[in-house]
Amino acid sequence: MIYAVIGLIFGIIGGVLTPGFIPKIYAPYFSVALMAGLDTAFGGLRAAMEGDYDNTIFLSGFFVNIALSVFLCYAGIMMDIDFYLIVILVLGMRIFNNLAIIRRLFLKK
Amino acid sequence: MTTVKNKHTRILVFLVCIILGFMITMQLKSHNQHQTVAMQRVEDLTVRLKEVQADRDKIAKELDEYRAGRISGAAQKEMDELKARAGETALEGKGIILTVDDSKQAAKAGENKNLYIIHDEDLLRVVNELRAAGAEAISLNGQRLIGSSEIRCVGPTVLVNERRLAAPFVIHAIGNPQTLESSLELRGGVLENFKFWGIKADVVKSDSVVVPAFKGNRIFEFAKPATEKTEKDAAENKDTSKAKENDSGKTNAAKQGSAAANSNTASTASQQKNTGGAQ
Repeated sequence: MIYAVIGLIFGIIGGVLTPGFIPKIYAPYFSVALMAGLDTAFGGLRAAMEGDYDNTIFLSGFFVNIALSVFLCYAGIMMDIDFYLIVILVLGMRIFNNLAIIRRLFLKK
Repeated sequence: MTTVKNKHTRILVFLVCIILGFMITMQLKSHNQHQTVAMQRVEDLTVRLKEVQADRDKIAKELDEYRAGRISGAAQKEMDELKARAGETALEGKGIILTVDDSKQAAKAGENKNLYIIHDEDLLRVVNELRAAGAEAISLNGQRLIGSSEIRCVGPTVLVNERRLAAPFVIHAIGNPQTLESSLELRGGVLENFKFWGIKADVVKSDSVVVPAFKGNRIFEFAKPATEKTEKDAAENKDTSKAKENDSGKTNAAKQGSAAANSNTASTASQQKNTGGAQ
């Protein structure tokens, strides 16, 4: 757990120090990827609290979710359908779900 | 709570969290950046607009200076006069103000209602009458009438200087008020005709009639000033016809001499014959 927090802090510092920013055309992809990353992170936290954390599942979930969400976003832009809304909606719901379970587990303890 | 078992897993979780943190910050940063880019664009455009406006004012001022500098004295006076003649300046003077409005009489059954309203033709007749009576400047509902001004029917309105005007029509004319008024009120003239149909026409003589300047645009799309050569050709044609007219006998050889210099041989010959006959 402490590693995760330290990693997050390192990441934030790295992001602040990195010059430049995301070009506007890639902004939707990036936001969707961020959503997927957050979702996986919360999923991992929940799994860790439930006690069935699996590193492989966590890692593969992290990257595959990001890849899929970015692909969906791309396909949506290609087809002129706002797929990224679906991605953000589903991932957002999952984040809330995970958070609710984490909260319950935390309170139960 | 922590179920991280070995070092390997810890490092991987660490790395994933680094990526996540990095992404979060980048997203926030980019979001702010996009906003500021839009704001910057607005600011840039505002600054540029101001610059361009300043430039424009400066150039307009320079143009005025050049105009003032190059034209002076007599030329300036002449230009002012020509401008006034062309309708570029507002004029003021003695004249009349004529107001005409549609008839309020109800059309009798079976009669054409169009007879009771003012048409472009009526206005044309009034304007023509005023010009014939020596009006020096005429405006119709604030539109200065110049050489190229049209008075034309467009549906319920009248088109003057490419602008639509509707009744009542107010015509300002500068000229001798007495002459102008009497020319309009001739027996069987324009206003009497109006009266017959109940069209209201009201002439007011005034010591100070203001006729505004022409505000439309005039651009020569096809016409351009004639060159010297074409002008000469035109003059020659005129001369030949004049020379033929003069066959009847009046001798103004001295006057025609200068014209004959640039006329063709035929006309010169006829002129010589002309002068010879008189002697």
